[in-house]
Amino acid sequence: MPVTKVLTAGIGEADLRDIDVYRKRGGYKQLERAFKTMKPADVLEAADKSGLRGRGGAGFPTGRKWSFLPSNDKPRYLVCNCDEAEPGTFKDHMLLEETPHLVLEGILLGAYGIGSHHAYIYIRGEFKRGAEIFNRTIEQARKAGLIGKNLFGTGYDLEVTVHRGAGAYICGEETALLNSLEGKRGEPRLKPPFPAVAGLYGMPTVVNNVETLAYLVPILEKGAEWFASVGTERSKGYKIISISGHVQKPGNYEVALGTPVRELIEIAGGLREGRKLMAIQPGGGSSACIFEEHLDLPYDYESLAKAGTMLGSGAMVVMDDTTDFVKAAHNMVRFFAHESCGQCTPCREGGDWLETVLHRLVEGRGVPSDIEMLRRVGHQITGINLCPLGDSIEPFLLSVLKRFPEQFEARVLKETVSA
Amino acid sequence: MRKRSEDFPALLERLRPQCEEIIGRYEHSRSALLPLIHLFQEHEGYASAQAQNAVAEMLQLTPAVVESTVSFYTLFFRKPVGKYMLQVCRGLACSINGAEDIMAYFREKLGIGHLQTTDDGLFSYEEVECLAACDRATCMQVNLDFVYDLTPRMIDEMLDAMRAGTYAVVPMAQTDAPERTWKTVQDLQVARGGKSFGAIGQPNPNNGSGIDKDGVIMIDRILAQQPRFEGRTKERLANVEPSITSVLEHEDLQ
Repeated sequence: MPVTKVLTAGIGEADLRDIDVYRKRGGYKQLERAFKTMKPADVLEAADKSGLRGRGGAGFPTGRKWSFLPSNDKPRYLVCNCDEAEPGTFKDHMLLEETPHLVLEGILLGAYGIGSHHAYIYIRGEFKRGAEIFNRTIEQARKAGLIGKNLFGTGYDLEVTVHRGAGAYICGEETALLNSLEGKRGEPRLKPPFPAVAGLYGMPTVVNNVETLAYLVPILEKGAEWFASVGTERSKGYKIISISGHVQKPGNYEVALGTPVRELIEIAGGLREGRKLMAIQPGGGSSACIFEEHLDLPYDYESLAKAGTMLGSGAMVVMDDTTDFVKAAHNMVRFFAHESCGQCTPCREGGDWLETVLHRLVEGRGVPSDIEMLRRVGHQITGINLCPLGDSIEPFLLSVLKRFPEQFEARVLKETVSA
Repeated sequence: MRKRSEDFPALLERLRPQCEEIIGRYEHSRSALLPLIHLFQEHEGYASAQAQNAVAEMLQLTPAVVESTVSFYTLFFRKPVGKYMLQVCRGLACSINGAEDIMAYFREKLGIGHLQTTDDGLFSYEEVECLAACDRATCMQVNLDFVYDLTPRMIDEMLDAMRAGTYAVVPMAQTDAPERTWKTVQDLQVARGGKSFGAIGQPNPNNGSGIDKDGVIMIDRILAQQPRFEGRTKERLANVEPSITSVLEHEDLQ
């Protein structure tokens, strides 16, 4: 089986929320080793050499992201992004609740790697239970001397604070997250300056996804070469893929990047009996669909980009022939229209008008010009907003509109009243 | 939970040490805004104006800044809500697995729609965006506790247990009686990107939605009548008795 358990090892078998259980399985050994025998620069080098890329959606190389930090004396911060809300994604939710000590070890390693003495984890407001679990995790670690002053006798102080959001998808965007962490409205900031230069409280800051930071632990344990040896040329290592929709065994599956899409669907139990595959949204709500002819596509950053979509957060929603794509498109667009923070006019108004038009089509009351309007409006939203949310509105819509135009056309009113 | 008899100054005094502890976690006090509002909402059931003012004073901000921030986040309720906040996922993965049927079932059983509270103040109902539990579609949260793989029978049992006071999830504090919706008219307009609904009380000619004179949203009226997505939930629904029709398909909420 191509499923490999790296981060997901032990989930469902042992109570990994218990620090003793986690330590018995080798937990916090890498942290101790890093503090005692490695320099922060060594951690950065390991991250860089492993080829680890951001697992939150953008896929930016983690080592390079860290290297943008200026070398000055300002305090710097590590922020772990656990504001998981990309439609179809549920991997961080699982990691947070099922193996919180691994997440914490990753955060501590990351903080040490960039020389931060205060790390934050921003947890989505809906994950109330996850936040409670993580608070207990921190308390256990504090008692064990893994958080606080003078860690491992090295004189290094490190504090971790849990910050809970309150229901805003946009706070997954890193500058919106920082604003929310500063107690402000979760509105994205104008970039540059990027967070590496002026982030939390105006200080150098790195924002990394939960899964990204968690992978630091096995990378230090087994070596950067081990991680870099799997996957493809530019998409190295493992990734947790959240597979849902019309598959028989939806769930989180950890695989090497580059696994063919067909195999991923098989891992998730395949389609329901007698059903035909119509479309796959391969990388969360922001990604365009791929179709039957893409089944042999390797699931990695480059191959998906080449196919006109993206890997994103690694959330695959599989849709079979029972799917109404007009409704699906309306659903997706409504999401972004609802979650737009409202700062940029194209995103705020464009998303809203697309939703209105699609709602009309869902009702079967479309007018003939609607289809053309759907094709055009998206282009007027993309690329001209402060953050990528606006760019995310159209890909799904345009891909299914191109593939299933008849479903949209069937919703246009046949008779129009002549003036 | 604040007792009805406890007035706000007493609650504030009781929570003050905890507030100070929260503020102390951050290098800049304003960062404590969200956790403090969470704390007061836990005790009052909603983020009351008094609580917002108290937070403003503690953080040396103006009340307007606090309200502006609080109004950005959908999990902060600026008006009282029911004791059980039922938030059903309407994300894509849930939708194609029967969430529309589940939502229609809730609406029928509760006799209310999206963003509304029942007259007895027990239930508030909202259809929310992806809850990150797509492998267990269709899912929902009750007072932020997850419930997975929903079926109509589960919903019946859940609502019965809540009415009887035996449900496993602790009811939210309720220090003031809820109105029909916890959203303000401005909230609803902002949620629509600032675009006008038309005059309040008038349905929007574009999409058959609108808000009535109390600012209550009437949406997805037609959606509930459309042929629904089929999915795993659909199979589970096949064996269930009561026919699934939306309360909203009958008439406007006048």
